[in-house]
Amino acid sequence: MLIGRDRVRAPSGAEIAAASTIVEPESVGEISEVVRFCEAGGISLAPVGAARTLSQIRRAPVAVGASLKRLAKVVAYEPDDMTVVAEAGITVAALNVQLARSRQRLPVDPREPGLTSLGALIGASHAGPLRLSEGTARDLLIGIRFVGHGGAAIHGGGRVVKNVAGYDLMKVMGGSFGTLGIITEATFKVRPIPEKYCLAMLPYENSADAFAAASALNNALPLSNLDLLSPGLAAQFGANRYLLLVGFSGSPLEISYQTDKIAQLTGARRENLDHESAAETYNRLRDLDPGPASLVAQIAVPPAALARTLESCGAEFHAHAANGVANILSPAETTTDRARTAVALWRETAHAARGVLRIVAASPELRDGLEMFDTPNSGALAIMRRLKSAFDPAGIFNPGCFVGGI
Amino acid sequence: MAPSFESQKCPMRAEIAFVIECCAHGHAIAMSSLNANLLAELRGILGADGIVSRATELKTYECDGWTVEKSAPDVLLLPRSTAQMSATLAALHRRGVNFVPRGAGTGLSGGCLPLNAPVMICTSRMNRILEVDFENRRVEVESGVVNLHVTNAVKARGFFYAPDPSSQIACTIGGNIAENSGGPHTLKYGVTTNHVLALELVMPDGQVVELGGPAEERCGYDLVGAVVGAEGTTGIVTRATLKLMREPEGHRTLLAAFPDADSATRAVSVIIASGIVPGAIEMMDQLIIRAVEEAFHVGLPADAGAVLIVELDGLEAGLTAAADAVAAMTTTAGASSVRLARDEAERALLWKARKRAFGAVGRLAPNYATQDGVVPRTCLPQILRVIAEVSARYELRIGNVFHAGDGNLHPIVLYDEREPDQVRRAIDAGRDILKACVEMGGSLTGEHGIGVEKIGEMPLMFSADDMRVMTELRHVFDPHERANPGKVIPQPGACVEVAAPRRQVPI
Repeated sequence: MLIGRDRVRAPSGAEIAAASTIVEPESVGEISEVVRFCEAGGISLAPVGAARTLSQIRRAPVAVGASLKRLAKVVAYEPDDMTVVAEAGITVAALNVQLARSRQRLPVDPREPGLTSLGALIGASHAGPLRLSEGTARDLLIGIRFVGHGGAAIHGGGRVVKNVAGYDLMKVMGGSFGTLGIITEATFKVRPIPEKYCLAMLPYENSADAFAAASALNNALPLSNLDLLSPGLAAQFGANRYLLLVGFSGSPLEISYQTDKIAQLTGARRENLDHESAAETYNRLRDLDPGPASLVAQIAVPPAALARTLESCGAEFHAHAANGVANILSPAETTTDRARTAVALWRETAHAARGVLRIVAASPELRDGLEMFDTPNSGALAIMRRLKSAFDPAGIFNPGCFVGGI
Repeated sequence: MAPSFESQKCPMRAEIAFVIECCAHGHAIAMSSLNANLLAELRGILGADGIVSRATELKTYECDGWTVEKSAPDVLLLPRSTAQMSATLAALHRRGVNFVPRGAGTGLSGGCLPLNAPVMICTSRMNRILEVDFENRRVEVESGVVNLHVTNAVKARGFFYAPDPSSQIACTIGGNIAENSGGPHTLKYGVTTNHVLALELVMPDGQVVELGGPAEERCGYDLVGAVVGAEGTTGIVTRATLKLMREPEGHRTLLAAFPDADSATRAVSVIIASGIVPGAIEMMDQLIIRAVEEAFHVGLPADAGAVLIVELDGLEAGLTAAADAVAAMTTTAGASSVRLARDEAERALLWKARKRAFGAVGRLAPNYATQDGVVPRTCLPQILRVIAEVSARYELRIGNVFHAGDGNLHPIVLYDEREPDQVRRAIDAGRDILKACVEMGGSLTGEHGIGVEKIGEMPLMFSADDMRVMTELRHVFDPHERANPGKVIPQPGACVEVAAPRRQVPI
């Protein structure tokens, strides 16, 4: 008996598409046991948080999904050091509740942070509107612990904000989609919560004007976020045109200056929101519901190429306008054939701009025949295959669904 | 076996004139002189002026900023292009010859000290800025480009390249990538790894690979992140795509003088805790203040026990209030005076003083060794007391000039290499300080790298399993350990002590 009977269960909800059996280890030692057991039996194993990512990228469930919901404590938090160590099962929202007591936050804002565990945040590279000002988990992760092959508990980095001792295992595990081991603990730099946050909502008739305004604003001000919604998504905010959502923060003096500057750069048609409703609108933006879309892809290109890239894709979108990153959606009624054609066009467009594309969500009937990830160039892919076999010689960690079939 | 100072007790090490190694992996033959056929092939690839083999000229390359150990390569290669680099590494690979990459040699941990690598490859001739793309805030450079030249190329348009190590007038982007270099402004803007989007890497077998890309998201594993900070053990980077930052609207640079280091470090914690994120918080103690003042006459308060340089940047609208708040906090923490730089010239002078502090220290003693330990910011008062104790115990002067906002120390241990006992004490003092840093939850190195200097201390931070996995990662790129062998991870399994022909500092 590796772990208690009460912590082995059948999957439910999104987990059903992710794993056939769910285990809920209570310690790193138990995770090591599970890894060794799976290696010995050639049993596939993957970490699951809310299973939102795993359920999308897998064509068939792994045999065992390891949920870290019982490993969800804050291990160490010293506000004056502005660092926090937490177990990988804690959600971003739960962590931020604790940090907020000291007016700090982990400023990575994935969709629905109440569902996003730190393991998923790191493993699946989730990020949101604040990536413009705060970066992504990649920029803030300073230490990591994971269970690797042989059940070994490995750590890289540390608890200090600057550290170049040893190889950067944080980068290796970040965005590895559970294919190299089970992340058990993370140390992040945290940031102060700004004194005040405001959000200006600017409607535009066409996307070119909206992107031009975004570019002018981004050049003039250190904005918190700069998001552009196409009309279909802008409807959720009561607009029927392109909607630019300009987030900015700081002291009252800085807020007042930025408010004036935004008005000056964009004309007077601004609707500034006061603090409370700005926060509420920002939350809706972060958690934006793609609606009845049957297919959601993330496209990333050099920022100046985003406007024409999205134009070529011809789909509804939510763009982090100054980052060159957007989620694009296909209509709900898309057929398999149309979805494939759309994805092929999107990919070609992304690649033409030297960018990348990955499918974030697709309904089960569309998923067959769609490559969820781009294929890296052959030289890079060869290195990635060697990395996979070095870190997972038994081939048990979330096999077969990452780039190049890794 | 790693060149830890423990190993220097081994009499074999000093006596072996040149070495044939059989290390744990059973490969990698290093020789004192290179095969004539190989030299001819390299000459064919690089041209006669691409090879330096005269001992007098090679002496320049016997060490970097870590001068405690010295070892000149047998030959220095100066490729001008990726194609030459690739052909060079392929030729070395075919003959099983190890190599050490080098940028400007400004590193402080012996990262480009040849250990069991007869060939040094310098990127200094690959120094072109290939493309500046203001629209996308990207710049593509060859790896031999000097750090400051990147900012110089873009500043007229209001941009800068954020990592700004003190050596930025000389150090190269390739070296910065190898060491994951920082600098004063990393407090707000992050270190090199936060600013590199894509790399062209020549693998140790000569294969050229493109890693990453100009977009913010990647496809597959983050190999760029794995290469940055790998200290040149994954191959040689020939090109890099870097992020440019927009110059902030304004700056306020404050100089606060404190009666002692304790009160200065307490002020650091108070500023950080207040929620203000300065661009930089730097500290200099009395020894350094006096040295800098003698060298540069910048008007530092010579009687102060310590000074902080606090730089705030951002929107003009908020800066005056923030500067007032910081000034009040430093005064409350015990500052005897706080001065705001009046203009850009005064600000530049303060930074010049800070960045040239290491040079100024050269006036105080024939030699110095700069440590690079990191502690959680709240432990700064504690670690400075430890450093003072260490200084007293080993009867060596130790100055402190460091990135206080990051908790990244740079204790400078002064010694005279002509006195073997002083060298020994300097090394032991450094090790004691690093040990204390790790015990406080910190790190051996914040930005200088492990190199040879701290390789013996790696087990203080990492378990055997951690280092095994790190070695597995290195082997993904360099299975035969040809690129910068003997660095980063100690190899306890090595069966013969190794030293290339190597002028050891007498100990």
